[in-house]
Amino acid sequence: MAERVSALAGHYSIGHAGTAGETGVSLCDMHGLILHQVAAWPATLVAVGEKAAREAAVEAAPGPGRAAVGKRGALLRIEPLKWWMFGAAAPALSAEEGATLDLSHSRTHLRIEGPQAASLINRHLPIDLRETAFPVGTVAASVLHHVGVTLWRSQDGFELFLPRGFALSLWEVLLEGAAQFGAEVL
Amino acid sequence: MSARRLTDGGRIDRSQTLRFTWDERGLSGHPGDTLASALLASGERLLGRSFKYHRPRGVMSAGVEESGALVTLGRAARRDPNVKATTQELFEGLAAAGQNAWPNVRYDLGAVNGLLSRFFVAGFYYKTFMGVPPFEWGRGTGMWMRYEKLIRRAAGMGTASRAPDPDRYEHAHDFCDLLVVGAGPAGLAAARVAAEAGLDVLLVEQDFELGGNLLNQPHDPAATGHARELAAVAAAGVRIMTRTTAFGLYDHGVAGLLERVTEHLANPSPHLPRQRFWTVRARHTILATGALERHVAFGDNDRPGVMSVTAARSYLNRFAVLPGESVIVATNNDSAYAAALELARAGAAVTLLDARDTVPEPLSTAAADEGIVVHTNTAPLQAQGARSVDALRTAVADGTGWRTGATFDCDFVAVSGGWSPVVHLHSHRGARPVWNAALACFLPGECGEPLHVAGAAAGIWDEQACETSGRAAAAAAAAALGKSVPSVSAPPAGGWSAPIRPLYEVRVAGQKLKSFVDVQNDVTAEDVRLAHREGYVSVEHLKRYTTLGMATDQGKMGNVIGLALMAEALGKEIAEVGTTTFRPPYTPVSLGALAGRGKGSHFRPLRRTPMHDWNLAHGATMTEAGLWQRPWFFARDRESLAQAYVREASTVRTSVGLCDVTSLGKIAVQGPDATEFLNRVYTNPFAKLPIGKARYGIMLRDDGIVMDDGTTWRLSETDYFMTTTTAHAAKVMVWLEELLQTRWPDLRVHVTSVSEQWAGTAVAGPESRAVLAACVIDPHVLTDESLPFMGVVETRLTGGIPCRIARISFSGELAFEVYVPADYGPAMMDLLWDIAEPLGGCLYGLEALGALRIEKGHVTGAELDGRVSIDDAGLGKMAAGNKHYIGSALRKRPALVREDRPRLVGVFPRDRSQTFNAGALLCRAEQVAGHGDGWITAVTHSPALGHWIGLGFMVGGHAAWSGKPVVAADPVRAGNVEVEIVSPHMYDPSGARMHG
Repeated sequence: MAERVSALAGHYSIGHAGTAGETGVSLCDMHGLILHQVAAWPATLVAVGEKAAREAAVEAAPGPGRAAVGKRGALLRIEPLKWWMFGAAAPALSAEEGATLDLSHSRTHLRIEGPQAASLINRHLPIDLRETAFPVGTVAASVLHHVGVTLWRSQDGFELFLPRGFALSLWEVLLEGAAQFGAEVL
Repeated sequence: MSARRLTDGGRIDRSQTLRFTWDERGLSGHPGDTLASALLASGERLLGRSFKYHRPRGVMSAGVEESGALVTLGRAARRDPNVKATTQELFEGLAAAGQNAWPNVRYDLGAVNGLLSRFFVAGFYYKTFMGVPPFEWGRGTGMWMRYEKLIRRAAGMGTASRAPDPDRYEHAHDFCDLLVVGAGPAGLAAARVAAEAGLDVLLVEQDFELGGNLLNQPHDPAATGHARELAAVAAAGVRIMTRTTAFGLYDHGVAGLLERVTEHLANPSPHLPRQRFWTVRARHTILATGALERHVAFGDNDRPGVMSVTAARSYLNRFAVLPGESVIVATNNDSAYAAALELARAGAAVTLLDARDTVPEPLSTAAADEGIVVHTNTAPLQAQGARSVDALRTAVADGTGWRTGATFDCDFVAVSGGWSPVVHLHSHRGARPVWNAALACFLPGECGEPLHVAGAAAGIWDEQACETSGRAAAAAAAAALGKSVPSVSAPPAGGWSAPIRPLYEVRVAGQKLKSFVDVQNDVTAEDVRLAHREGYVSVEHLKRYTTLGMATDQGKMGNVIGLALMAEALGKEIAEVGTTTFRPPYTPVSLGALAGRGKGSHFRPLRRTPMHDWNLAHGATMTEAGLWQRPWFFARDRESLAQAYVREASTVRTSVGLCDVTSLGKIAVQGPDATEFLNRVYTNPFAKLPIGKARYGIMLRDDGIVMDDGTTWRLSETDYFMTTTTAHAAKVMVWLEELLQTRWPDLRVHVTSVSEQWAGTAVAGPESRAVLAACVIDPHVLTDESLPFMGVVETRLTGGIPCRIARISFSGELAFEVYVPADYGPAMMDLLWDIAEPLGGCLYGLEALGALRIEKGHVTGAELDGRVSIDDAGLGKMAAGNKHYIGSALRKRPALVREDRPRLVGVFPRDRSQTFNAGALLCRAEQVAGHGDGWITAVTHSPALGHWIGLGFMVGGHAAWSGKPVVAADPVRAGNVEVEIVSPHMYDPSGARMHG
């Protein structure tokens, strides 16, 4: 099988960048994303949510703006009638139930963590990332340097999904801003 | 005599010396100094030349309201003009220079303007140079146009560098429960109380130290009250930003902040931005922005050595600079007494002029105890001295006016004309300030937003009362945000023991004086009266006619005096005259900060295809298509663009070419009603498209004009893969979502952009099937029977790469579009190129793609420009007559079905060796004039035909012009070229090649 090539390939230097002796943020290209969209119709929302929850092994499908993490995958509620299944395949749905779609190659998945992670993201995203407003398990659609992106706060940090074609350009602008905090590219 | 540094006291760090240069001369100061305090301490008085008259100017304040000490900082690309020396923190190696002067501020030839100042009154330039009588009577502004450059050079401030800005800037967002602007007594108390009540508080201060007016008080390092208060604020969890100005307030609690990150550092980290532009969203905001001390208009009140009383106090107590030995303090209110006492204690001989007729106890006793002579009913009339003040003529109250009084020798004059609360930010919210006659100032008006004003900004003068008002504002904000806190009653405005005597100008009948109202803009009291005489009596007209309160000053100093003088001239009260609107920014914001990181290569985000680097490695020259980077051409052996694209297009017609088409828009259309949805969106029928087939479709707008075109592939009963043009991908996606959400919510259809999911390549040319067959695991799916024209197949490429292939053609050759998941894009190119290259194939770019499609008469965005109907584009047969679709009604409007509308045509030069340009007008030969009968949209050399060709639109279409002479008129570029109008299908009109 051919190898998947990251949008950042050839432009991604592992190691420390910016202010020496400090690591305010770490950034990682989580290459090899598996992402499927699970979409329901208004009348099948609950049933499809249950199916998706079973597939991911989570208790219940998350509501708007929330994510739920299970043994097999995570579910992110990204639109009123749509979830993203992260890290696992979509459940089989008939057209009467809904529609599924493989989006694994459509996004570049960055993980940003560290004490200054929220500060770095707020250099661009105009959303309130304070713990009280954006706790672990929150999902939001927002804008990064004019480009629509999806942000999810997981146990591991901020998971940022960038449209693949813009990923390198956004990576460059993110890394430029991260240098002041001391950045570790993993 | 000039200012000198005291041997002890102040908030400066004498253990360290900072060296800096002023007009290339080496001077020194200490950490804690501003540039102004260091210059004063070094004995420098004359620091600037004024805007219009080039008058000598010195330090007049200790803050952002500075009008005199405007200097240029830095060198070369970092040269920054109009920096206020009073707010610039000193650092090692700082380089500052005077501005608006030649050869320098001490000896300025431009000062000749001052001698002519009786001519340079308000409106001088307009009156003198526009329609100059008698030469230009009735003939416009020729002389102004000729001399404007010289005039603008003579008047003005400093000049900015023309080199690109080498510094970085960035934007940032923050959120808080409560934003407190200003860290004086009120702001500190408010921030602490609110944070202790459990609110997330952001405290911003424009200074580099917290404390506001507390910093101006005598500094006793042994007394720790201030330090304890700061520690308590920090301990309460207040987030503190110093060197940060809240420059504007906007809707819904949004505040704009400018943080000066490195402007105080000698060697800033290269990773830090020079400034940050913050957008803060706060649930409540407290403005504790303080008040600015006004001056008074009297003769030559702009001489170096004249400054505000609070500035004198600040230099004395905060910076340990005694600004003069023989000091006159002139006031009309209580607030100047503390400074007078402190100046006297520091060793200055102090004379106090009080415009009021009595001095209240205990101030009079305190003054007497320090040996200060107080002259009541006395005000300054005229400062004397050429480059700095050496005496002060005074005036004595005489009824309601003034008569000449005694003259006092002095080397320093401190003036207090009362206080103006900083209501700027409050005004940004549309709340008009209200005149308070008793306090002689504007107070913030009603606002109706979660916005509180505390301390001197609310006209509260007493320090303890300021703190109380800060606590009251914090308690109100905390209660509104659901915290249970004991409420505090806010103290009333005011707080002096004796009332202020309103005093705006001191003049004596018969004496001509140069009394400045707005020092920064060189506006005098006479200018205001002239404006009144000439009818500019509205405050808004007064501002524009005289430039009072304009530019970076924004009315901080002169506005109230100007209003008072206009009110006097009109015989009205100040409240009736009104005030101009304060607008953001409160202090200037650099253009670099507005741009943030969005400059250079980040001016816009670049959009790259998965094969971007692969294309570059194979010789691509890239071009922009919207945000996309696309291969333009692949030059071999130093070919020019023209040579390369002609070769590439020829190769596609004779052998095979590969072209990255990833940028086409791609949309998944899914659901039980997907077929019905497409049938409503496209003009042509989609109800019976078989699975495994693609169809070319056209979408109209509601008004019947063509919106976009593309192919849609049926993958299953309920699954479609739609492609759009590169240019309209986002527009089509949004349009489909809008239709589903607002018009047809009953349709069970989901549309999802999959433009980023799939990498696409066009494989075009007679050898294309052979190339592709060598790359798929099951070549038999590509035979003409299995995959006829417009057929679709899903299979895998060698190596197991899943792919979608459709047999569709933009070039007019046998051709396929191949899509693979994006991460496999480079692998797909390797596979295809390994086969295509030995066959004599080529990689082709956008230029060759254009040549091929023009030969075929295929339309793109150049033709579908938002004015073209489906019939105009020659695609009328694709409009179904037996169904309804978007645009089906309005496309039949009479104006859209006229026979004489411009229709798509092909264009040949009559002399086949000639060329013409896109954009040329098509005119009948006998009437080459006006807008002609059509226009050219696209041109190319046609390798297939061997000459230049074009596409365009021509009234009535090509049949109407058969055999008629036409001219491509291009008067300002190539000139006129005789052309023939032909069918747009200029090559292989039957389509035999792509079907073959």
